[in-house]
Amino acid sequence: MLQIRNLYAYYGKIEALSGVSCHVNQGEIVALIGANGAGKTTLLNALCGLVQARGKVTFHGESLLSVPPEGIVARGISQVPEGRQIFAPLTVAENLALGAYLRQRRGQRHEIAADLEKVYALFPRLYERRQQAAGTLSGGEQQMLAIGRALMARPRLLLLDEPSLGLAPVIVDSIIETIVNLRRQGVTILMVEQNARTALSIADRGYVLETGRILLSGPAAELLHDRQVTRAYLGKDYKEFTEGR
Amino acid sequence: MPDWRQEIPSREELELLQLERLQSTLNRAYRQVKFYRRQFDEQQIRPNDIQELTQVARLPFTTRTDLSHNYPYGLFAVPLREVVRIQSSPGTTANPVVVGYTVSDLRFWRELTARLYRSADVGKDDIVQIILAAGLNNWARDLKDGAEHLGASVIPFANLNFAKQLMVMRDYKTSILVTTPSYARHLIDVMETMGLVAADFSLKRAILVAEPLTPAVRREIAAGLQVSISTAYGITEVLGPGLAFSCPHDDGLHFSEDHFLPEIVDPESGAPCARGLPGELVITTLSTTAFPLVRFRTGDVTSLQPGACPCGCPLIRLGDIVGRCDRIFSVGGIKIHPDQVGSAIQEILSGHTPRYRLRLGQDAGLTYLDIEIQMDEILFSDEVKCLEAISRRLRRYLRENLGIDSRVGLVEKISPGSS
Repeated sequence: MLQIRNLYAYYGKIEALSGVSCHVNQGEIVALIGANGAGKTTLLNALCGLVQARGKVTFHGESLLSVPPEGIVARGISQVPEGRQIFAPLTVAENLALGAYLRQRRGQRHEIAADLEKVYALFPRLYERRQQAAGTLSGGEQQMLAIGRALMARPRLLLLDEPSLGLAPVIVDSIIETIVNLRRQGVTILMVEQNARTALSIADRGYVLETGRILLSGPAAELLHDRQVTRAYLGKDYKEFTEGR
Repeated sequence: MPDWRQEIPSREELELLQLERLQSTLNRAYRQVKFYRRQFDEQQIRPNDIQELTQVARLPFTTRTDLSHNYPYGLFAVPLREVVRIQSSPGTTANPVVVGYTVSDLRFWRELTARLYRSADVGKDDIVQIILAAGLNNWARDLKDGAEHLGASVIPFANLNFAKQLMVMRDYKTSILVTTPSYARHLIDVMETMGLVAADFSLKRAILVAEPLTPAVRREIAAGLQVSISTAYGITEVLGPGLAFSCPHDDGLHFSEDHFLPEIVDPESGAPCARGLPGELVITTLSTTAFPLVRFRTGDVTSLQPGACPCGCPLIRLGDIVGRCDRIFSVGGIKIHPDQVGSAIQEILSGHTPRYRLRLGQDAGLTYLDIEIQMDEILFSDEVKCLEAISRRLRRYLRENLGIDSRVGLVEKISPGSS
């Protein structure tokens, strides 16, 4: 579904990704794990056209790298950014409507209404608070809203950036459950996590990034088992890497 | 049979998987192993310069001598506390070959060996009996682990004589025999002397490993044991037999490309050979974590066959191993360098090296090393006992250190064609 070959990404002169190759198959949950600054978020941003990148990225056989961000959303890739980045003054319902912005312009009114119902079914809490300003939601609810907003674009591939960041463990569990549910509904997921244990517990496969390079890859269960090996590669970042913060 | 569509969806996907794994292997090797870092730096290559599979040809080779120089742990890419198995084999240089495995290395290795069995149509209902020489202990253990992983019933190698092995084979209703071609031929010999025939056994298939199999020997074993034949290829440096394996179409061995990248190079120049042409097999590991090997020169001369196999397995096929491009030879599946025998003779004779000649001998199907040593003034003794002692000590030394059987003759003048 998504194939990445030799991806380089830059922030100015700084090389944040140094030749990353990886892939995501239809229906999979793939986890990108690694310590802070390893290049995980950069990889997602490069996929969405948000940072300068070179290499070869194809989605269903079509090249992505020269496509502008809105074109990438139109092709079926949505990102749930780190720190949610919801529109705080707008209501929950308005935030969700914005997620379907491109589709509204194409006049898919009925489909959008149906998808909105699905999102509310997935997150009943959002339905209860649909008229409330998004900024007044709790961290977990904001994360639900961010995911809901991304789903409103009806993505084939959902990119999740640190979905568990800053959330209480019990909320993390419910977000994780949601992700598993989404996969069951046919959404393919590429997720970035510093909390490797959480990510690998639900992923099919994983890649371990360090300083913009992939050091290890394999079935998630194996990588989870290989925390010891991972520690060897990640040195002192190991604790942060396996236990979250 | 494995469902290949499940394991390896398409050639294109396989190649992306190989590239991903190659790049992460190179990143790890460069980061963790001083030897590789030095090698890469000398050639001014960084791991991320390798952006296509074919560019692997830009990387320096690793040889058995490099392994020996970095004895014992110099090429390990993880700290020892992550290594759960340290395996050594005599190797073909002054130092033994030491290979380390992490938990996940062992797991994937078991899966690969199980795949070898599945490709030979072995299943849970089979009874697998492993008969291998003591010098092939590592192979015996891996083949046992793989068959157990598959869920078959395994009779591991036991130190029984051949007659007892046959008795076990008959009474336990062994369906799959795992052995070397020479042992299989010897078993047929022993069967005859015991008055046993193939119909007394429940054998379906023989999996013949560790030695090349000529068509004539293959026919002889298939007829003598009334079995189908499967074969497999492996080298000690990347552990045992799951590297390549035969399929029902029996036209070449499928190379486990999802975990190892094969190349065929000209043994002299090191340049890549065109597809289908024979040359030296060079292997880069793609999945092992503890002991990654980058462009390891196996010394085996073979080819990679173009074209797809009718069995549906998308893994490329390795042709027959047609020879060696170094002086290493095999005694019943155990690889030996002539210099190892030379230093054994020196050791026994306290530093003296007489002229000697090595040949392979056969006795009732079993291969042994035939050593002729030419008498000289230093060796000469009136006492037959002393000469016998030399021969006995050398035989024992070779059995204990290299795991091979030998016969030693002290002769006045060695026969022509000496080495």
